[in-house]
Parts: sequence; C-alpha cells; structure tokens
Amino acid sequence: MLSLDFLDDVRRMNKRQLYYQVLNFGMIVSSALMIWKGLMVVTGSESPIVVVLSGSMEPAFHRGDLLFLTNRVEDPIRVGEIVVFRIEGREIPIVHRVLKIHEKENGEIKFLTKGDNNSVDDRGPYKPGQHWLEKKDVVGRARGFVPYIGIVTILMNDYPKFKYAVLFLLGLFVLVHRE
Amino acid sequence: MAARNGKNGLLEKWRIDEKPVKIDKWDGAAVKNSLDDAAKKVLLEKYGYAENFNLVDGRLLICTISCLFAIVALIWDFLHPFPESKPVLAICILTYFIMMGFLTLYTSYQEKNIFLVSVQKDPAGMDLNHTWQLSSSLKRFDDQYTLRVSFTDGKSKHTREQEITKSVGAFFDGNGTLVMDQFEKCVSKLHNTLATEKKTK
Repeated sequence: MLSLDFLDDVRRMNKRQLYYQVLNFGMIVSSALMIWKGLMVVTGSESPIVVVLSGSMEPAFHRGDLLFLTNRVEDPIRVGEIVVFRIEGREIPIVHRVLKIHEKENGEIKFLTKGDNNSVDDRGPYKPGQHWLEKKDVVGRARGFVPYIGIVTILMNDYPKFKYAVLFLLGLFVLVHRE
Repeated sequence: MAARNGKNGLLEKWRIDEKPVKIDKWDGAAVKNSLDDAAKKVLLEKYGYAENFNLVDGRLLICTISCLFAIVALIWDFLHPFPESKPVLAICILTYFIMMGFLTLYTSYQEKNIFLVSVQKDPAGMDLNHTWQLSSSLKRFDDQYTLRVSFTDGKSKHTREQEITKSVGAFFDGNGTLVMDQFEKCVSKLHNTLATEKKTK
C-alpha cells in the first residue's frame, strides 16, 4: 500500500475510536449548524448574515460587506430605511432602500425599493407583473456590518472548486487527527 | 474461501498493530496518545485483562444523541421552511447546547483522565473480578508524563493507586519511534508494585 504516514494513527484505531473520529466531525458540523439555526431563531430572519453582492448601495455599503440582520415583527418599515429582501423565485437577497409605501389600516404594506447607486427603481428586477414588495419578501433589516470580510464568500461562490477543496481538506484533517 | 481470505488480507494490511509506533515528537497530543495506547497494550495483552467500555460508551452515547438532535433540526427545517419551524428549532437548539454542557461535565468529572478501565477476571471464577484503571496526564509543552495505575479490589471495593512521572524522552528515540521495551518495563513495574501490595495485605 502507499506509505501514507499521516494515516498511521487511523490505522491503529479500534472500532470505537474510529466511530469517535466520525462523531467528532459530526459534532463540529452540528455545532456550526446549531449556531446558525440559533441565530435564525433569535433574530427572526431566515438568513441572519448576508453579504452585499453588488455596488448598488454605494457609498453606504460596498461589495463584500457582511451585514447582520434582524427581522422582528415589531419593526415598522418606513420610507428611507434600508431593507434586505428576496424577489419571489430568486435566491439572492438584495439590499436596497425603501422609496414608497402604501399602508392599509390593518398594518399590511406594499413598498417600492431602489438602490442608492442605481438610477431607476427596482420595478425592473421585480417579478414580471409585480409592482410592489410585501412584508413576506423581507429577509430582515441591517443592524450591524463588518466591511470587506464577505469577499471570501464571494470568492468561494465564484470558484466553487476552491470551496470544495478547502472543505475537503478541513474535513479530512478533522477525521484523521486525534484530539 | 478465497474471497474471505482476500478480505481478511486487506483488513490486515490496513491495520498496523505490529509496526513500531512512530509519531511527530513535537506533537504533544500524539505523544500522549501513543504512550496511552502502549500502556493499554501492556495491560490488555501482557496481563490479559478484558477492557470495559462503559466509560467510553457513555461519551459516545452523549455525542450521538447531540448529533441526532442536530439532524432532526436540519430535516424539520428543510421540510417546514423557516418561520413555521421556529418552535421545533428552538427546542432542538436548546437541547443540543444542554447536551454539550452535559458532555463537558461528563468528560471532566466522570472520565477525568482515565483512558482504560479493565477487568482482571478471577481464573477460578469464584471470587469477584478486580478492576484496573489507567489514567495519565501530560501538560501542554511539558515533557513530564504521569501514568497512574489504580487497582480496585472486587471484594473489598478498596482502591489503591500508584503513579510515576517521567520525561517522555525516556521512551522515545530521536526519530519519534516509541521504544516499547522501556515503556513496558515501566508499566509492568507499576503494575507489579500494586499487585504485590495486594498479596501482602
């Protein structure tokens, strides 16, 4: 067999130790998952951390900024505020400012958005036939941000092979290395 | 027949029980692990004790249950998209972190540094079995390895302990290969001291 010395430790393990190595890997993945879901529950947003993908909100937000969102029912949406929303049928969250609002007496609203750095409002990108957004399209409101860090996420999405290589190596390291 | 031999052959080539242990001598965790494994080997192979897995199984059980809760949360959230899954998610997350706390308590207080619980069966089958436990410690960036052997008499439930602290340099050569003879001598001496104490009492 190939002399893969780094696997020697694994080869000397009995069944229980091997199972523990797999469990260890599972625990790390589970912890990350639980923290993410925990953030979702606490903030009320289905995507509590998003990356700004375009320059349409410059100079407020630049491409690559990381935003922390909350989506509490009590927060009213008012003209001039920045919201993060998803257009029906699309996955990518968009970070733009609210331009106009129509509000019913029972609190239901329809609103229009526009990016600060764009010359026209968002009716173009909306679904064909859709002229207004509703509360259900909102992912959350930005409560804090960290500049530039999101560039790593953008890189990983643009070069998926790089992402898989990093994840594979990390996974391998956790599985083979004994505590 | 040939197929089964083939499978056994592959498994044997994979497991390297007989190859001398060689590790990175600067990796503290690897050093401690290899010493612990060698001590285990001495007790189990030379003296023929049977390993008792209850302590380890307890830890594996806690970890497995935690992962199960995480998987349940993942699947539930996938089937019932976010806002509806909030209560189930909250329960799973809370349970997960409680299990984590439980695990930490278990490893700190129940397992302590014990890495082997073995049973010395009475050959005549008449008296109760005695328990031998091994635990060890090696501080970070330190070279002093402490091995603790504890003997619990099956009848009197009385526990006796003996420990020895030595530099890891006494057991490894310059390349990081474990010199099993030296280490075995050390462990056997520790074991025999406790065993003879038992006889004289």
